[in-house]
Amino acid sequence: MSETTHDPAPTHDRDGRRTFCKLCIGGLSVASAATVAYPVASFLGMPITVGANKPVAVPLSSLAPGQAHYAEFQGQQIVILSDEEGQRVFSASCPHLGCNVMWSPADALFHCPCHGAVFNSHGQVVSGPVSASLKKVPFEVKNGVIIVS
Amino acid sequence: MRLLGRIFDWFDERYELTPLIEKNVTHKQVPRTLGWSACFGGLAFLTFLVQVFTGMLLLMYYKPHPSAAWDSVTFIKSNVPMGWLVQRIHTVGANTMIVLVFMHFARVAYYKIFRKPRELHWISGVVLMLITTIMAFTGYLLPWTQLSYWGAKVGTEIPGAVPWIGEGIRNWVRRGPAISGETLGFFFSLHIWILPAVAVAFMLMHFMMIRRTGISRPL
Ligand code: HEM
Ligand code: FES
Repeated sequence: MSETTHDPAPTHDRDGRRTFCKLCIGGLSVASAATVAYPVASFLGMPITVGANKPVAVPLSSLAPGQAHYAEFQGQQIVILSDEEGQRVFSASCPHLGCNVMWSPADALFHCPCHGAVFNSHGQVVSGPVSASLKKVPFEVKNGVIIVS
Repeated sequence: MRLLGRIFDWFDERYELTPLIEKNVTHKQVPRTLGWSACFGGLAFLTFLVQVFTGMLLLMYYKPHPSAAWDSVTFIKSNVPMGWLVQRIHTVGANTMIVLVFMHFARVAYYKIFRKPRELHWISGVVLMLITTIMAFTGYLLPWTQLSYWGAKVGTEIPGAVPWIGEGIRNWVRRGPAISGETLGFFFSLHIWILPAVAVAFMLMHFMMIRRTGISRPL
């Protein structure tokens, strides 16, 4: 580069700036590339299919009568219900389009927030855009503990 | 760094990349009066590339069948690592692309850049805008939710309003009298292959002609 008298900065100083800029641009490029590469690499990895194969265990003493207890089983929400008639476990997924149904203790019914399906405490349809009942989930009671496995 | 440079040099010697890069990037001159609004076309194109890439990823799990579509999208969102992110980028990207194409359109219309010799930029642009909208519309049906279903139903009702032939067009678009699995398959093929391919053809036309005339020089 041709030197002019207007630019008294010594060459090594300008080289320093040049290196600094290069490092900054390089660093930012690597960082941007990583923010793209990381999600893409994760996406190409294995999906979680049976990630939560571990059983759900809930002591009966922790279940208030007429209240629902939600848990995750095999990647799906399940709902455990305990009242005078005993215990029942359902998949929380609405048989209509799969939203999670909500237990309402006030009227002892399950309400689906999506399109208003209603199910009774045995999972049978009361009303709504669906004819199937909530799916029952098999369970057992051992030493006062509900086990879903 | 040295190593990267040497790899680049190896290819450069064979493909002569440096003159290409200089001509199109490092030494490319654009009018200094050009404002930020001239970026919208390029940004729309960038969004299109993002859509193509995230779309390819989603295709690894998406299943275009009424009984499986919704579940497969839910699977992507909750079970595939970073699937929620990819799915969300594709959804947000679709909306972004429409906005950017409209901003681009607004700029071109405002500065009246459709006059000779740029008529074909405008015409190919209108086709691109239509394709972009139809890609968004067909993609909306794919997750097979209530919103998708009713969106497709109402949208396909529109051509039905045309006198005499309207019902025929509506049923042709729906592949039958109602929104069904056939509609889903048809929209899927349009969304992932046919429309992007046609869009790429029109983009090539659009870009090659803009290269020829050069970008318009504002006063
Ligand atoms: C998928 C949609 C589109 C893409 C990807 C796209 C892309 C581009 C790009 C990259 C440019 C060059 C620079 C600039 O942004 O001005 C451009 C220019 C242009 N586009 Fe588009 N475009 C699209 C849609 C449209 C639409 C809807 C119209 C109008 C109906 C249109 C009309 C034009 C015109 C007239 C130019 C020349 C601008 C100039 O010379 O300054 N394009 N387009
Ligand atoms: S998903 Fe429950 S009513 Fe539609």
